[in-house]
Amino acid sequence: MKVLSLYVENDTFIHKLEPITKLLYALISIVITFLFPSIMVGAVFVAFSLLLAISAKVFKRMLLLLNVVLIVLLSMVIIQGLFYRQNVTPAFKLWGLTFYKEGLLYSLLLIVRVVNMIISFGVLILTTRPSDLVDNLVQKGLSPRFGYVLASVLQIIPQMLSTTSTITDAQRSRGLETEGNLFQRFSAFFALLGPLVLNSLVEARERAMAIEIRGFSVEGKRTFVRQIPETKADRWIKISLYVAFIVAVVWRIILWVM
Amino acid sequence: MVDAIIKVDGLWFAYKEDEYVLQNIDIQFDDKPTAIVGQNGAGKTTFVKVLKGLLKPSKGDVWIAGTKTKETTVAQLSKIIGLVFQNPSDQMFKSKVIDEVMFGPLNIWKDKKDKNFAYEQSIKALKIVELDNRLEEHPYDLTLSERKLLCLASIIAMDPKIIILDEPTIAQDRFSTRKLAEIIKELIKDGKVILTITHDMDFVAENFERTVIFYQGRVLDDGPTEKVLSNEENVVTAHLELPNLVKLAKALDFKTTPLTIDDFVEGFSTYKKAEG
Amino acid sequence: MGDVSTKISIEHLTYKYPFAKNVSLEDITLSIDAGQSIGIIGRNGAGKSTLCYVLSGLIPRFFHGKITGKVTIDGEDVPTMPVEKLIRKVGLVLQNPFSQISGAKMTVYEEVAFGLENLGIEKDEMHERIDTVLRQFDLYKKKDENPFELSGGQLQRLAIASVLVLKPEILILDEPTSQLDPRGTTEVFETISQLKTLGITILIVEHKFEKLVEYVDKIALLHEGKLLGYDTAEHIFSTSEIETYGVGQPIYTALCKRMGLKKANGYYPVSFGETVALLNGLKGSGMDRRTYNG
Repeated sequence: MKVLSLYVENDTFIHKLEPITKLLYALISIVITFLFPSIMVGAVFVAFSLLLAISAKVFKRMLLLLNVVLIVLLSMVIIQGLFYRQNVTPAFKLWGLTFYKEGLLYSLLLIVRVVNMIISFGVLILTTRPSDLVDNLVQKGLSPRFGYVLASVLQIIPQMLSTTSTITDAQRSRGLETEGNLFQRFSAFFALLGPLVLNSLVEARERAMAIEIRGFSVEGKRTFVRQIPETKADRWIKISLYVAFIVAVVWRIILWVM
Repeated sequence: MVDAIIKVDGLWFAYKEDEYVLQNIDIQFDDKPTAIVGQNGAGKTTFVKVLKGLLKPSKGDVWIAGTKTKETTVAQLSKIIGLVFQNPSDQMFKSKVIDEVMFGPLNIWKDKKDKNFAYEQSIKALKIVELDNRLEEHPYDLTLSERKLLCLASIIAMDPKIIILDEPTIAQDRFSTRKLAEIIKELIKDGKVILTITHDMDFVAENFERTVIFYQGRVLDDGPTEKVLSNEENVVTAHLELPNLVKLAKALDFKTTPLTIDDFVEGFSTYKKAEG
Repeated sequence: MGDVSTKISIEHLTYKYPFAKNVSLEDITLSIDAGQSIGIIGRNGAGKSTLCYVLSGLIPRFFHGKITGKVTIDGEDVPTMPVEKLIRKVGLVLQNPFSQISGAKMTVYEEVAFGLENLGIEKDEMHERIDTVLRQFDLYKKKDENPFELSGGQLQRLAIASVLVLKPEILILDEPTSQLDPRGTTEVFETISQLKTLGITILIVEHKFEKLVEYVDKIALLHEGKLLGYDTAEHIFSTSEIETYGVGQPIYTALCKRMGLKKANGYYPVSFGETVALLNGLKGSGMDRRTYNG
């Protein structure tokens, strides 16, 4: 794999949105679900995020992503169901253990928040090229240096993995044992880490020179060859999101005061 | 006739299912210094890794000094066959030259309680590459050419019978290349079997008796350097170039294939006499 | 040959890297005319790369340290020139094909755009320049591929394209073929030929002398930071001192020196063509003079 990216190429409505719009949705939906201790609110967002995923034709991949956290979710159900400190009402018994209603409901709240987090970010990641997201952020004010680091890390890491395999070969050729007992593996670690770090530093320096030669440190306006335009749709969505956010905060404050 | 120290029998190798990077290689190496040439991607590096035991054959077998590589470990093999990797940065991690060279010997002679043995071997190796006066220096304070020689020393110190050099002349100036050629001659005198992977055809012509051309995972040609490098068709197919003197000889219609300047001068006077 | 066509002028340039024991460049004086191609040779450590860094502005911006002497391009001082102006005058291509890719771009097309984006060039002009340069260097078909998938020779062409898209009139190449196989090497030298016809001033550091002499007008010989010679290839390589510097020479020159064969002008041949002609002439009359196209 040359790039650490989950991007799936396509040209749905969601794909064509500005990356920042999608990022904003993810952030705001997460904040709102965490503001309200209501399973309803969470479920609404989960449903909405799922709709987005379907519209972006990434539903199947989304399920794969969710699979990854399935175990975490299950353990939340078990732990909260058994040990939540406000557990009073028993719900059912399984394998001799009592699961309580309060715990189960709480775990459902947690699940709904986590699932929304994953799906909303998933929609962002699956429909946005990493370099497009970074470009968009730099456009809005993110430091270009930071943006460069973010964008390059996704490709440099796979490169480092391939270098690691060459380094492993070189050191094994000098008699280094990489299998064997814990002590052997531990000493092997430094023989592999040393060259990797040094190599990466040397390469980073050369790369820094190369981008310097192409004007990376020039101050002033930057342009973007792959500029994704902010359409009316983007503007409406952003406005709606800001409004929803403000409404939610106000409502929460009111509820809290009452 | 010397017994084959490396024997390769029906070797096929694939990294991924059914995508064979090496196809049906049957070849043997004796004590003649041999150059393995071919363009990037032809399979040379993969082949050499198989010889070293870093990769196991998908089909076929490889014997190093009578031992099947499939039946032993890389560490064990490194006592007989050494590989000097192309990029010094891929292996250097110690802070002193002497420590870097001793790393290999200490690994393979773990049972020899005497650390001095590893030390002595390392000093001997550093003498051969003329770095024995830089023992306490930090490897990264050496120039690139010196670092490449350091890596060579780290393999010589393990005293393997066979030494394989992977692209030893890349990024070297002419002075360093000449120095390397002298070191190779000395190693051959010491009884070592030297193989090299390279694109530098002049370097091949001047230093290696035998040449093997790899092309698309197969051996395209194999034989005395003079013969192999005079076959222009094979050389061009493999996306290589003729050594400069051979190119010149062909343009002048020589009947012989000169590998060195001496060869050329001799060839030219014979040639002139024949024409006269 | 007045100052009108002088592109690069270096006067008494001396430079020492910070923390270095010795100077890397000492009292270098030379000038290069527009459209000329200059080869820079010398042993590793002679200061060849350092000279490239000074001319491209990496010294003192990236490497710091103090420069004394004068370095100008089109009459303007290089060390103090604003970067956005300098990179539109000079481009630099380095040895290692892989570490010249920015790493932040996922396609060849965007990689070439990198420099233009940094300079804030307008989108339409970006597209035009990128398309031109991709076609010029035979990379158009690869424009949607990931740069890390390219071969060494293709990567060097990409490096050249990424730098030339900024339209500099000078291109410096520091050992561009040292990590390439014969095919990649040929690709790079053919590209250099192309650049010459475009009138670009070229400086190239190379150890492959037999190839180098076919592409350059003059050669600068550096040794331990000093400029020991700046002349045509035949002048530089014909001297017997060349051997004492440990730099080496084209094998053809070494051959002719051994055979005691000089050209009519009193110098030894340096190129394949000259050597063939000279030796053919010795074959006597009635001979079949076949020219060889390698």
